[in-house]
Amino acid sequence: MSHIACGKGTHSLRHLIKSKVFLFIVITIVLLVTIALTADSNSKLNWIGNIFSVPLSPVQKLFSTAGQKIDEAVSFFKDIEAIKTENEELRKRVSELERENRELEAFKEKNEELRKALNLKDRFAEYTIIGSNVIAKDAGNWFDIFRIDVGTRDGIKGDMPVVTNSRGLVGRILTSDITSSKVISIIDEDSQVAGWISKTGGHVIVRGDYALKDEGLCRMDYIAGDIDVKVGDIIETSGLGGIYPKGIVIGEVKEIRMINSEFNRYAIIEPAVDFKSLEEVYVLKNK
Amino acid sequence: MKHQMRSMIGKMKIKIPAYTVCIIGIILLQSTVLDYIRIYNVKPNLIIVFTVSVAFLNGSIEGAIVGFFAGLAQDIVTGKLIGFYALLGLYLGLAVGSINKRLYRDNMLVVIFFTFISTIVYESAVYFLWSFRSIISGQINLLYPLKEVILPEVVYNSAISVFVYILVMKLSRAFEETDRK
Repeated sequence: MSHIACGKGTHSLRHLIKSKVFLFIVITIVLLVTIALTADSNSKLNWIGNIFSVPLSPVQKLFSTAGQKIDEAVSFFKDIEAIKTENEELRKRVSELERENRELEAFKEKNEELRKALNLKDRFAEYTIIGSNVIAKDAGNWFDIFRIDVGTRDGIKGDMPVVTNSRGLVGRILTSDITSSKVISIIDEDSQVAGWISKTGGHVIVRGDYALKDEGLCRMDYIAGDIDVKVGDIIETSGLGGIYPKGIVIGEVKEIRMINSEFNRYAIIEPAVDFKSLEEVYVLKNK
Repeated sequence: MKHQMRSMIGKMKIKIPAYTVCIIGIILLQSTVLDYIRIYNVKPNLIIVFTVSVAFLNGSIEGAIVGFFAGLAQDIVTGKLIGFYALLGLYLGLAVGSINKRLYRDNMLVVIFFTFISTIVYESAVYFLWSFRSIISGQINLLYPLKEVILPEVVYNSAISVFVYILVMKLSRAFEETDRK
């Protein structure tokens, strides 16, 4: 570009530089405005995404499956030795568990009976459950956002809760395009979930943390001084905040850390969901 | 003058589809396959490496355009806001491209060095821009991002920059040749 300008002399060169700087300033301002506008997850501007995401999501699905296959193949060769010894142990476990299973079967029947007697409602009865596949993981190393293959076409909207088949909390919908949506998981730095310690009771906040994200963990803050928390306690959603319904399992307490004093503490939570091997998730849609 | 203009338009006809294919390919790899081959829990950032190589070989304007669209694609696929990575990519390409004239273009070490510095600056920018809330409240952790994310990624990116640079160089030569015909 510049050698063209040189031919025209210094005047036009200055003009060109000026116009370039002007152009960059304009682009920067436009981008800052889009950043500000798209901070609202239901903003109309998120529709720009459709241009790219609609034709791309089938291809992403293909690539993602290929990636999973590579992963499986690599770990197959790596683990073959370990699998042999594990197999021995597992055989022993199987016979043990078979016996246990028979016992539990009896308990299950009893439980079913009691449940009916108490007339317990299904927690998710008021939601339509929409199944979906993970088609793309976060492109960078800082966050934990992924894409799933359902979108506005399937009635998906921002802030809908996302769970796994075992009903562990995954996160919520960030934005949705026609055929796909972005999900922000609970281990992402910007995620905050109102939690409830199910055994002893008490409100807490479960949020993501950069340093814990890589291990698939998150942290629990705002534990009131009079609340009794122990390692192994189950944390579930409290239903406060209006995004997540009450009673979805977030995870269990792995470690309690003190800051300065005993009452200033936070806990490390091991989510019920393994975020590394997430392939299928379910979106809860209000009926 | 007219000839130069015509050759520029001719080049653009090949460059635009070529870069589009490259960017789409990079975004696809970045968001799918690369996630399964993480080393030390970190995957390389091909967007930085590609933008640096293009800017280094073809100047600031081309670098800025490629950086902008690659960033925009990342914003759309898995970004939190639309425009964040686009803005970073734009200035990455602009910055790297504007210093290229004074250095040897064919020296691989210079490319590796540029990728090295760019990754540190770019990833630090991402971290600081996203955590200014914690900076204000004084909770910022400086050791973690440097040790666990930035440094492994810098090494990974620098290694990959050799291959990406060769690819972009071949692409640029192909542009020149089609232009001569």
